[in-house]
Amino acid sequence: MPASSIDTILASSIMIILATAAMAIATMTLSPRFNELSHRNDVERYQQLAKYILLNTGTPTDWGSMQEVVPSSFGLAAINSSHSYQLDVDKVSRLNDDNAYSITYLQLLESFGVRDVALRIEVDTLFDLSTSLASSSSGENETTYNFEMSTEKSRLPVSAQLSCYVVSKNHVDHEFSSTSSSGNGSVSVTIPNSENGTALLVSFAKTEPRMVAFNVYPFNHNSSVPEPNGTFMRLSPLNYTLNVSFLYPTEEVLMAQAFTYGYNSELTQISGDNQTAEYSFPHLLDSSPMILVITGSNGSSVFAEWVTYPQLPVTMGSDLNDLGAASKIVSFTYIVTVNSALYKCTIKFVGPE
Amino acid sequence: MIEAFLAVLVILSASVFSITLYYPTASSDDEKMLKTLGMQVLMELDNNGALGNFIDESNWTAVRESLEILLPIGVSYNVTVYDEAMNQINNSTMSNGLKGQKIVSVEYLCASQSSEVRFYLVRLQLALVR
Repeated sequence: MPASSIDTILASSIMIILATAAMAIATMTLSPRFNELSHRNDVERYQQLAKYILLNTGTPTDWGSMQEVVPSSFGLAAINSSHSYQLDVDKVSRLNDDNAYSITYLQLLESFGVRDVALRIEVDTLFDLSTSLASSSSGENETTYNFEMSTEKSRLPVSAQLSCYVVSKNHVDHEFSSTSSSGNGSVSVTIPNSENGTALLVSFAKTEPRMVAFNVYPFNHNSSVPEPNGTFMRLSPLNYTLNVSFLYPTEEVLMAQAFTYGYNSELTQISGDNQTAEYSFPHLLDSSPMILVITGSNGSSVFAEWVTYPQLPVTMGSDLNDLGAASKIVSFTYIVTVNSALYKCTIKFVGPE
Repeated sequence: MIEAFLAVLVILSASVFSITLYYPTASSDDEKMLKTLGMQVLMELDNNGALGNFIDESNWTAVRESLEILLPIGVSYNVTVYDEAMNQINNSTMSNGLKGQKIVSVEYLCASQSSEVRFYLVRLQLALVR
């Protein structure tokens, strides 16, 4: 074989080996970038999906107010909303699994119709109101309770106007107060000593524009330590009707009231037997969540149960705590309106990294 | 032999060059999110005329406090309000210390709520604090 042919074969072999090696190195080096390129529209896509949930009513458009109806397409927007990101109070309430008519996560995913993502929807107030009982003093006819109130957002103080109702058995009283720029305030309420049982301090904190936080603080008045909420009744508000399931056969309702920041109103019983009851409550035109309270007796003990409308906080969807490194979480926060009050809605999507 | 090295060089450089022509960064997604959030917050703030009222009353504290509740944690901001002649009218700073790698700016035209019609341009600058 001539020497030139050997040179040609040798050079060709080296060229092939080097070119193959170069392509392999290039592929390995650029693989993560190619991978990222293939997911470069994920965030945009997730954002459009989040907007779809908040800007569309779903099908049927009034699925939220119909107890047993599961939507065929999912959306939380209110019907005939006057502006965008206005959510339906019943659709939001049905995302809370404490509500007897809540939809399951599986039903949500099926109606959402997007197979390759997991999601989580959270709706809550924009800031927090906390209450603690500071002191109490008993007089001859009544007992005065002094509460310390605190308004904050992520440990930063918020100045707010306070509207507080004290509810005990058949007694309701209303006090206004405020928290200072340090986020601290106080309120005092009195309850006649003729009342007894679990009492509730129902508090609302309001700051402009239409941002409201709430808190319900149970305490004992001439009675033993209050039982946790939900011990005696299951309360499920939907379509301005409160559905009550009694958890003990000997329970009796003493009072049923709806509270907002500025108003309170009696609930009207529309049906009932010894296991369930239904109460209607009015559309109070107030930029505020509604807190529905029922006081009742079970034998000798007097209790108080409550629920909010919309039923908050909502945390519906996947548990994102135990996700591995192969998963990518994209989170969007929106300011939404429910019954004229503002809330924050966070929608998280989980897809492959 | 030289041809082999040249071929390798061409393949490598072509691949690297083409991939760096467009390499999207996470910050462009963040910018879109911040712009959407900023506009939504200003619209909600002005939904019942509250923003216009705050500006009419020069109540800059209220604007700052409202934004601090409405904006999520981890977002820094700075607000400047201009009149129709683009003169800055807020005489106190409305900011929580704007800082971040990428700053986005959202502009919102706001009408006065008083009987005398006035327009204001509200410039909200936002950044993600990492």
